[in-house]
Amino acid sequence: MNVGLFGIENVNIWVDAVIRLQLIVILMTVVVMGLIYGERKIIGRFQRRLGPMRTGPFGILQSLADALKLVGKEDLRPRGADPWVFELAVYFVFVPVFMAFVAVPFAFDWNVRVLELGLFYVVAISSINIVGWVMAGWASDNRYAMLGALRAAAQGISYELPLILSLIAVSMVVSTDAGRGSLDLGVIVAEQGHIPYIVWQPLAFAIFYVAMLAELNRTPFDIPVGESEVVGGPFVEYSGIRWSMFFLAEYAGLFILSLVGAAVFLGGWAWPLGEEVGPVWQLLLTAGKALLLIFSVFWVRVTMPRMRIDQLMGFSWKVLLPMSFALILVNGLILVYDWPDVVLLASNVVGLIALYLIIDRGITRRRVRPPARAGAATTA
Amino acid sequence: MTQPPPVLENEFETEDIFVNMGPQHPSTHGVFRMVLTIDGELITDVTPYVGYMHRGAEKLCETMDYRQGIGYMDRTEYLANFNAELSYVMAVERLAELEVPERATWIRMILCELNRLSSHFMFLGAFGTDVGVFGTAFVYGFRNREVIQDLFEEITGDRLMFAYFRAGGLAWEVPDNFETRVREVLKDSREGLRELDGLMTQNEIFRARTEGVGVITAEDAIDWGTSGPTLRASGVPMDIRRDEPYLFYDQVDFDVITGDHGDVFDRFYGRIREASESIKIIEQCLERLEPGPIVPDRLPRMLRTPAGEVYTRTEAPRGEYGIYLVSKGGNRPHRLKIRSACLSNLQALRDMTIGGYVADAVVILGSLDIVLCEVDR
Amino acid sequence: MKGVLKSLGATANAFVRRPVTRQYPEMHRDLPERDRAFPILLWDDDIDEPYCTGCHACERACPVECMTVLMKDNPNHESVGGDSRRRKIIDKFWIDYARCMRCNICVEVCNFEAIAMNNTWTGHEVSVYDRADLVMDLPQLLAQHRAGELDEWVADI
Repeated sequence: MNVGLFGIENVNIWVDAVIRLQLIVILMTVVVMGLIYGERKIIGRFQRRLGPMRTGPFGILQSLADALKLVGKEDLRPRGADPWVFELAVYFVFVPVFMAFVAVPFAFDWNVRVLELGLFYVVAISSINIVGWVMAGWASDNRYAMLGALRAAAQGISYELPLILSLIAVSMVVSTDAGRGSLDLGVIVAEQGHIPYIVWQPLAFAIFYVAMLAELNRTPFDIPVGESEVVGGPFVEYSGIRWSMFFLAEYAGLFILSLVGAAVFLGGWAWPLGEEVGPVWQLLLTAGKALLLIFSVFWVRVTMPRMRIDQLMGFSWKVLLPMSFALILVNGLILVYDWPDVVLLASNVVGLIALYLIIDRGITRRRVRPPARAGAATTA
Repeated sequence: MTQPPPVLENEFETEDIFVNMGPQHPSTHGVFRMVLTIDGELITDVTPYVGYMHRGAEKLCETMDYRQGIGYMDRTEYLANFNAELSYVMAVERLAELEVPERATWIRMILCELNRLSSHFMFLGAFGTDVGVFGTAFVYGFRNREVIQDLFEEITGDRLMFAYFRAGGLAWEVPDNFETRVREVLKDSREGLRELDGLMTQNEIFRARTEGVGVITAEDAIDWGTSGPTLRASGVPMDIRRDEPYLFYDQVDFDVITGDHGDVFDRFYGRIREASESIKIIEQCLERLEPGPIVPDRLPRMLRTPAGEVYTRTEAPRGEYGIYLVSKGGNRPHRLKIRSACLSNLQALRDMTIGGYVADAVVILGSLDIVLCEVDR
Repeated sequence: MKGVLKSLGATANAFVRRPVTRQYPEMHRDLPERDRAFPILLWDDDIDEPYCTGCHACERACPVECMTVLMKDNPNHESVGGDSRRRKIIDKFWIDYARCMRCNICVEVCNFEAIAMNNTWTGHEVSVYDRADLVMDLPQLLAQHRAGELDEWVADI
């Protein structure tokens, strides 16, 4: 079976796949290096610093220098570590993220493969890396790593659900030629030629955004890797190239979820006012929308304190999950009774207000004055 | 013979694990070690270990004359050096019955309060990192502290180890533009306080992390011998500057900041408010500052004290910093004992931490604002 | 939620302001004139010899005992046909910069104002590969003031 590639007709499907995957690998590496450099510069700016300045003009080669240094480092393994699990863990984290790129549309018809269940595939494959985290933590023979891995498992599973449900809420209401509902990312993007779904489904976007931060272990949900508590979490014993692959996977994950978020909520490569644009512009639009999300992630990272594990779990199971279920229920009712699209917006706005109030009132515990001990002195 | 079926409870028996936090851990503020016994994420026991930084400052001071000892005081309390020096020179002055000129006293007050400000900036920054803000609070706090530190360098010549107070007065006169520079620094500090306040105080996540965490009652706080902001956060209005005025603290107007709940948030917010009180005090001092001598008229070249003993205490940023000085005559102390505020505050750590989460332990330790050099001396 | 937005505003405010970083090796901060780096010895240009007479006052007053002083008869003294009024003069002088705690006491006790704290950047940038290189001998201690590179500052009390 032969397909077309870059205007060349009749390319063998395996050759085609290899070439496309190769391009994805290069893209991923370059983007991740750019992201790391960009993050350091942006965070530096937020902290009124300059960020890296020494390697090349404005420190632009800093990521390259870091990568070279990490490749050159010794690949250490603690004596008590479980060798197989310790070394395999890296691939369980790295490969799923890489595989998730297969279904992401960068521009109209520019992707590795068009999958009808693209959205489902992306969320399914990108949740495998929790296994890798737990493997890394378990095999490291380090208590910080163990603690971090268990935190990662709890957090990853809890936030997977709101993430998927918020995406499903959108994919339910996508209108296609065959009726409503599609999991094909290309179709979802194409539907947003006029109005992106963030306008119709702001609550879904809010839930997605929070769950995305948690999935990526980003502040305020960086509990598994919390520097000041578990000193790097599951990766505390890794060094050199293995550690750099974890790092690569982390940033690639950020990129992929931003791409998915941009595709589902911000309209991916579609120009919001409904004009058709060429593939270069489409690429730029995708990148721009994803980078917007990524920038906001960096911004949140420099600003927010870390949540505690019980608050984190509570927020997921008691707030986000019920809300996303309610969202799906309302969207289902809208589909069944064929209500107008304004109801979509209205229900979401109501939900957003509820979320605001919950965060405002509910998240902080009520403080009580400590009771005085009987018979003790009351003043100094 | 058949084996009895295994008992289910024994199959699933779990055990608490020990986690060594420190001496090398990013958030133990130096080389402090606590062994946490944790059941999942909950802390069931904590054993603090101190002493990794012990350098025998007290013993060293016994081999030094009174002027040489000042430099060592700087090194025990490296975030509030002026306060440490002040306690020491006050002890020597009381023993030698020296009268400190008025101008020197006002300048000492200004410098001590500025030092409190810089120490609290350091706390706000480090505490932000403990709570998990990615370095932002730390960099903001450090930048604001740096402005004050620059002023100290202009006055004393060194950024950290000032060695500027002398028994009887000051080592040398402050620069001519002292007043304008202090006012500039105060303006900057007020802005910096607002910045850090805006970054953290009202943030819901920050409050969720700090409110109701590490609670200690007023009675327990007194029993453990805590002092300073840690004690005041529990609602005990104890401030040596007001209760037992030294320098000219009885002539200035300031509030003693107390909290209601004795939790981490009160300890944090109390420090922010205390820093603004310091600014208030400095402004009053600047108005009272007049030209005059900065050392007594007759100061011997080598200071000798009569035999005797004395205990002086000052309100350092972290609490009561006391010097117990025994002299048997001559030019050096016979025995010097430093009453460290941080060590006493650390005693309460166990009470505060047990029952909390691992993440709480970090925040509680951060809220005590320990300086390990002072704890171990 | 209000507080979260306020926090985001605080960082956004910092984002639009100029960074405060100074690129250190290229951009040196101006040091205040009373900056204290390490002690160095001063050079008497009028008679072309050190001010220091080797009286051991600083050596005795040093809290960390980082100084070693040896004195000798001044070969340039008036009694032997020279033009100096110093009967004794410094022969050898070592200061161990690795031990010095920069407390300024040696400057205060000096009767001849022969020692001062270096207040230039050369006094701060003394990193070496061998710890023994931090023990400064007499020519090294005198070199800077002799070349006129010191901003002199005298404490007024």
